Amino acid sequence: MINSVEKIYFNNEFVSYQMTLNNGKVWGVPLDEANSDYQAIQEWIAEGNTVIDNGGNN
Amino acid sequence: MSELKVDKVSPRSGNYVALNTVGSKNIIINGDMSIAQRSTSTASITGNGYHTIDRMFLGLTGAGTWTQSQDTTVPTGQGFAKSLKMDCTTANGSLSAGDNCILQQRIEGQNLQYLKKGTASAESLTVSFWVYATKTGTNICELYDTDNTRQISQAYTISSSNTWEKKTLTFAGDTTGAFNNDNGGSLTLLFWLAAGSNFTSGTLNTSWNSVTTANRAVGQVNHADSTSNNFYITGIQMEAGTTASDFEFLPHDVNLQRCYRYFYKNDDSGGAGFIYVAHPMFNIQLPVTMRVAPSCTDSGGSAITATNATGQVTYTGPTSTSFSTKPNVVRLLYAGGTWSAAYTYGLGCIGYPTGLLISAEL
Repeated sequence: MINSVEKIYFNNEFVSYQMTLNNGKVWGVPLDEANSDYQAIQEWIAEGNTVIDNGGNN
Repeated sequence: MSELKVDKVSPRSGNYVALNTVGSKNIIINGDMSIAQRSTSTASITGNGYHTIDRMFLGLTGAGTWTQSQDTTVPTGQGFAKSLKMDCTTANGSLSAGDNCILQQRIEGQNLQYLKKGTASAESLTVSFWVYATKTGTNICELYDTDNTRQISQAYTISSSNTWEKKTLTFAGDTTGAFNNDNGGSLTLLFWLAAGSNFTSGTLNTSWNSVTTANRAVGQVNHADSTSNNFYITGIQMEAGTTASDFEFLPHDVNLQRCYRYFYKNDDSGGAGFIYVAHPMFNIQLPVTMRVAPSCTDSGGSAITATNATGQVTYTGPTSTSFSTKPNVVRLLYAGGTWSAAYTYGLGCIGYPTGLLISAEL
């Protein structure tokens, strides 16, 4: 379901993930361990996928 | 005028049943299927997700293609106005071992503490619901404890095709494995519609036990085996004790507020924001404190305007929208778009799209 994940920065602080699904929908996902999308991202990372990290430039 | 005189009022003993004293006796939220913020109908469903009715998750792997909708077909004279309809549009009459189709609701552990699960005083749970299906035969209703990986199943029979039937099932209390007292999912109520052999090849587990997958849905008929099949359900109630009381109808606003804890669709297109480093930013106060900091998606086209000395300027073409959220507020910051002309700092902006989806689901 997850196609890609990118770190989002605000004032150069990592504040959330941007998760793009295979159906094209883009979700902002907070850094909250109880959030089910956050949990899905952690599983996706554990499967060997890589989060896009452009630093604080976005 | 009537008069009631008593000498003494004492607590009832024996069959005394704990009630959820904070409000609803029904553990299930939106059991009358009256709230459908996401959509009233979604076609071509082939996978897991919350598709239409609030709080009703569909687990679907391989067992056909479905249209799910909020329907007005309801049992006569029972007070219900809506049901959840599953319409099989591509059949799978030969399920693979791991295929399944399951309607379910996931429940927070902190709302279940009064059931005293994991103690000698654990409460029984009684599940009642109305069901209407094309296909008759054996069906499985299951309780699944995700904190302790335990489950219990019960079979019920749909006796007559395309006829509303009320079902009542009582599950014994579980003296093993307490629910976590937090906002995570602890208990799931599941209604199976299809189950591959991974879930049916054992013996149906009708008492609380550690999960053996093969014992979860033994005997389940396959509602996905024909495109003629429909399955409707409404009036789901799960309550402490061994008897089913009448369905607890809540006022629409109360029901909606309970759903907002898990999902909120913002249809206001007139939010007031400000401009942060040349890009629009909005803070949206949520109607209730959500279960956790929510995820958000921007489902509509952006329509954001600001003003300058000569009139209105527009912001178009954002390439991304970032979100920073707390359980009671969402902050939207657009990026990558351009203004049609110079804007005036300090006057703010208005807009943000309709259909902002905010989710803190289990």
